[in-house]
Amino acid sequence: MSHQDIRIGVYVCHCGTNIEGTVDVEKVRDSAADAPYVTVARDYKFMCSEPGQDIVIKDIKEKGLNRVVVASCSPLMHETTFRKACEKAKLNRYLFQMVNIREQCSWVHKDRQSGTEKAIALVNAAVRRVAHQESMETVRVKINPNTLIVGGGIAGIQAALEIAESGNKVYLVEKDSTIGGKMAKLDKTFPTLDCSACILTPKMVQVAQHENIELLSYSEVEEVDGSVGNFTVKVRKKARYVTDQCTSCNDCTEICPVKVPNPFEENQSLRSAIYKTFPQAIPNTYVIDKEGRPPCRETCPIGQEAAGYIGLIAQRKFEEAARLIRQQNPLPIVCGRICYHPCETECNRQFVDEPIAIKNLKRFVIDWERNKGGPQAPQIEKKRKEKIVIIGSGPSGLSCAHDLALKGYNPVIYEKLPVAGGMLAVGIPEYRLPKELLNTEIDFIKKMGVSIKTGMALGKDFSIEDLFKEGYKAVYIATGAHKSLKMKIPGEEEFEGVYHGVDFLRNINLGTAQPVGSRVAIIGGGNTAIDSARTALRYGAKEVTILYRRSRKEMPAEEYEIQAAEEEGVRIQYMVAPVEVIGKSGKISALKCIKMKLGEPDSSGRARPIPIEGSKHDLQFDTVIIAVSQSPEIDYVSPKVSLVLSKWNTIEANPETLETNIKGVFAGGDVVLGPATVILAMSDGLRAAEAIDKYLNGEPLTSFKSRRQKKPARRDENCRPHSYAPRFKDTPRKARLKIKERPPQERIKDFKEVELGFSEEEAVEEASRCLNCGICIECHECERVCEPKAIDHTMEDEIQEIKVGQVLITTGYSTLNSDCLIPYGYGLYENVYTSLEFERIVSSTGPTQGKIVMKNGKEPRAIGIIHCVGSRDINSHPYCSRVCCMYALKFAHLIKDRTKAEVYQFYIDMRSFGKGYEEFYSRILDEDVNVIRGKVAEVVSNGSPENGEGDLLLRFEDTLIKKFREIPVDMVVLCNAIEPQPDSEKIKRLFSLSFSPDGFFLEKHPKLDPTATATDGVYIAGCCQGPKDIPDTVAQASSASARILSNISKEEVEVEPIQAFIDPELCAGCRLCNDLCPYGAILFDQEKRISKVNEATCKGCGTCVAACPSSAAKAKGFSDRQVFAEIEGILE
Amino acid sequence: MEYTYYPGCSLEASAKGYDESVRFVFRTLGQKLVELEDWNCCGATYYMSTKETTSLVISARNLALAEKYGHDIVAPCSSCYTILYKTNQILKDNFIMKAKVDQALKKENLQYNLHLKVRHPLEVLVNDIGIDSIASKAKISLYGVKIAPYYGCQIVRPDRGFDDKENPQMMNLLFEALGAENIYFPMKVRCCGGMLMTTYPDVALELNKKILESACENDADVVLTTCPLCQINLEAYQNKINKKFKTDFHLPILFFTQALGLALGGTPKELGIQRSIIPFQLKENVKGEAR
Repeated sequence: MSHQDIRIGVYVCHCGTNIEGTVDVEKVRDSAADAPYVTVARDYKFMCSEPGQDIVIKDIKEKGLNRVVVASCSPLMHETTFRKACEKAKLNRYLFQMVNIREQCSWVHKDRQSGTEKAIALVNAAVRRVAHQESMETVRVKINPNTLIVGGGIAGIQAALEIAESGNKVYLVEKDSTIGGKMAKLDKTFPTLDCSACILTPKMVQVAQHENIELLSYSEVEEVDGSVGNFTVKVRKKARYVTDQCTSCNDCTEICPVKVPNPFEENQSLRSAIYKTFPQAIPNTYVIDKEGRPPCRETCPIGQEAAGYIGLIAQRKFEEAARLIRQQNPLPIVCGRICYHPCETECNRQFVDEPIAIKNLKRFVIDWERNKGGPQAPQIEKKRKEKIVIIGSGPSGLSCAHDLALKGYNPVIYEKLPVAGGMLAVGIPEYRLPKELLNTEIDFIKKMGVSIKTGMALGKDFSIEDLFKEGYKAVYIATGAHKSLKMKIPGEEEFEGVYHGVDFLRNINLGTAQPVGSRVAIIGGGNTAIDSARTALRYGAKEVTILYRRSRKEMPAEEYEIQAAEEEGVRIQYMVAPVEVIGKSGKISALKCIKMKLGEPDSSGRARPIPIEGSKHDLQFDTVIIAVSQSPEIDYVSPKVSLVLSKWNTIEANPETLETNIKGVFAGGDVVLGPATVILAMSDGLRAAEAIDKYLNGEPLTSFKSRRQKKPARRDENCRPHSYAPRFKDTPRKARLKIKERPPQERIKDFKEVELGFSEEEAVEEASRCLNCGICIECHECERVCEPKAIDHTMEDEIQEIKVGQVLITTGYSTLNSDCLIPYGYGLYENVYTSLEFERIVSSTGPTQGKIVMKNGKEPRAIGIIHCVGSRDINSHPYCSRVCCMYALKFAHLIKDRTKAEVYQFYIDMRSFGKGYEEFYSRILDEDVNVIRGKVAEVVSNGSPENGEGDLLLRFEDTLIKKFREIPVDMVVLCNAIEPQPDSEKIKRLFSLSFSPDGFFLEKHPKLDPTATATDGVYIAGCCQGPKDIPDTVAQASSASARILSNISKEEVEVEPIQAFIDPELCAGCRLCNDLCPYGAILFDQEKRISKVNEATCKGCGTCVAACPSSAAKAKGFSDRQVFAEIEGILE
Repeated sequence: MEYTYYPGCSLEASAKGYDESVRFVFRTLGQKLVELEDWNCCGATYYMSTKETTSLVISARNLALAEKYGHDIVAPCSSCYTILYKTNQILKDNFIMKAKVDQALKKENLQYNLHLKVRHPLEVLVNDIGIDSIASKAKISLYGVKIAPYYGCQIVRPDRGFDDKENPQMMNLLFEALGAENIYFPMKVRCCGGMLMTTYPDVALELNKKILESACENDADVVLTTCPLCQINLEAYQNKINKKFKTDFHLPILFFTQALGLALGGTPKELGIQRSIIPFQLKENVKGEAR
């Protein structure tokens, strides 16, 4: 539009004296009249009135105005009014500009001259700007008729029912496992004294049964995208671990061994880990409280639920413990004796004193089971015909065979050596793992349908090709790592008397003599070195010395093994290594050694040993055993067995599926991992069994149920095992029980077991040290007794995505619990209660069944009720919590009704403002309640707590009689303040809300729009907006519902066109704006290679406009020309 | 460590025992106390309520002088401690007040640059030296002595991070480590009336009666205080209290450093205990390690 065509009308409002008082309105009008393109300038007393608006409309029509400026109050007040007026006169509403000369000029200045000057500048700016404004159309967005309500208290329930009744769908998301909120905790409600549960539960049932309400309980909102009309919300549905089959029979809570404070009863009584919040809970099922998984289970490579069986031991349920162990562990006898127990390394008890002796507890249970006759053979139902062969009968192969047998297969194990067991049989000495026990273990597996053929070596006696030709469908290679590594020093292979660790041990275990002299040297610091040392001692060596090239703390062997060896007389020399074997007449006579010093860490993370120049010396020995690690023997790998090897000579296999490069051939254990541990090999074996089964079923090799080792989160002594327990550093200490051992001098005479195991009493005592990390210890007792089989510990959280048009926040309140309560004796004296605690005491389903008694069970003689604790207090909350006066009176009534106690009520002002409230107050006064005006200064004990019954003394000023008084009472009830919920910050961020200064959510207007917020499409109702009673909460819920329903019925919502717009001609497709947009409102058109703004979600923040390097992104309604014109107008 | 010592007026006269015992304790524990030269009366709490600026100047003079010594200033009297601390804080927070005070100080060629920390011997002992260190130097165990640790109101209020306002523990922990038994004493931070003993004796006598009553109810052998005014109120007026309320109090009231000094092996004469009106004698106590 060319400039000649611009015709501006300027209207300056007096707003009575609101503006006129400080700003000379007529002067402003005259100044505006002189500005360019201004056709007419007027002033009027009240522009927003009908006559005022009529002036504008008349001028538009008669004077052909095409731009309007009104200088009056805030646009928040009347921009809409004037825009509508323009539209009535057929002028586009965006050709109107409003100037605020009231709030931003007249109200904040006192000086008339400068106030007027400022108003003139502001109007001038608007006049310049409006000339560049252009017509725009509002964007109409379709509203999704679904609604999300966050928070299932009475407000959420009421709103859900209101909206659902209209035929529209509601998603009700509640964080707790049941809806009902705080109202479910109340006993009677004021002023009518009807029972809270009686009026609440019918509504709760209605919610459960309503076809338009989808109840997502035990769920929380995680992510919110979109804007009014179209929100996409991700809701995390936390796993209940209880399925819909639950019939609420309650057998599970009785058997659950874990007891934690019950938050529903305000921590005044205990509940078990599996629980139902209260009898009338909706949904009417149980839930298991799990706070993450205990670290022992997380870190176990086979996911053994150690906390579970430890809890069962503590309860003397040894049979159930054995059953639980065997459910997950195919080699429990072995693990109970020689596992390297990563569970103990991660056990949280270490932050208190020492870890639980988990391995020894497992040993105790399995020994107990064996003494009672041993385990029952498992029932195997389906039989599978497919032939599977496992190569290697070590822990990996045995575990694989065990699980395959359970699935119905009859695998065959081919073992190269003449005995089965792998390293368990030929690596670990008898005094750590007796062969008899190992064979018991292996026999049990054989009984399940597994056959073991010894003397069968892969590559020599058979090949992989042969196996497939014979009809085997799958192969698991678990040949381990049995080849000793050489030191490669001169003389190593020359002389007699030089052994290598694993060969030495293997030969002894297979019965081949390994003559040992009297001065034995062991080279190495791992478990094999220690095993070799202690074995040498038992073979009569007089002096056994371990030579290790680093220091004690770098030794990889287990600390207690090293200690046991030292107790038996083994000596250890650190920082020394041999460089040559010296011999005489074909036999070793000495070792030339060199001293080492420690340098920077090497690739293993340990300090690198550096030889010290000139420190060579000879040490006399007649036997040396070199134990410096092993590697797999892969001599069978050939063009016929074409497995891919890594550079460390291990077989390459997929770590998830254990597949090798040959189809149908899987590999795991030490042959893949390199020399590792028994339990890691078992983990591979169990995974292989699952993988082979899936492979044979033709299923994809994904979603494995078998567990792998996970690293638990970092913790320290300031953490807690779960939120109801004290911190580790505050937990009382108790030393770990040491397992009985045979005395060293006796035990080196033979190869009988060194450790003797726990007695029953010792096991129960040690198991009681367990802290029940994560609350539910997964002992599976609940699962065992659940008849409908409704318990599933493997459930996972689910994420559900819902699409809604509007959101209502009804997250409720929390109550004050802070240092403010200390002067009133809360936490110091027993019988001082907060309001919610007392509410549970008077409830018939509460910890005292509704009887008002002190902690010692006696009836109180006098009770003090103190109002305004933490409310109306500049040191705490300056606001009034609104409901306390009324519920305090209610308490007084209930106390008078049920006991003979005197009641003293301490108030500042009595706030009984509602319908029937004042009458209720009068009634209470008639019931002989002592109502005293005066804040209680402090509550002290009336004597030493040991003497008497702990009378409490209330010290206060009675302001009506102007006297300082002291009254002894037995019990004190504090009306503690209502506060915003602790997680309201999270809700605020998710839904783009604001807080008012008191911390509750900010409404659009406190009088005229208390349930809407500044964010379109998001509403609030109930106590999350501010403290209020039940009648007002229900009223707000219904009011918000009305607004929501009104928008749904309009089907569309108008969105301001003040948005970004990307000029397709200028956009270079750099996509800088895509990620910058905080609302995700910019889409990228792959075809045209340019970005485009989504009008439905753009909020007009302008970030992309500022960032666009091509100036392609522009702000509608805020073009550069408009903004510069406005600035020029002010500067003129 | 070295500290600048501000005894205050009371410690020169009616509370001489406090002065003697503080010096003894610090000496025995190897800490140096250097008395501030030419210190003047701090003005005490009452002056500040009536003529604020003048009282700040008077108090700030001490701060300006002490700042030159470069060490923290230690004031045993609760009132002096409160006043000096408050002055320091007000000058830090209120630059207008600081400007006025600076103007006055300049007349004496003094300047205060806010570099000083005001401390009380109780918290210096507990925080800087440490209870364990003190207990290890104890020569006599206070086993069998029942003490009522009386903090009074000024040392904990207004809040300056000294200890908990309602339930302070410093004296309790210190003397527990020395073997004494802390009795249940809910009046430990109740006001003794201070100067009211001279202006409104009826009020003050009643307040002190309550404190003594609470201590005696739980069989205290001695009350330990940190303030000369509390000490004199509780001790010197016991007769008057007995007469007025028909009670029979004969409770020794010591300064906490006097009791600490005994544990560290000091004689009653060295610690000024012979000045007490109501005699206190340590029973034949176990010699040796206190804990």
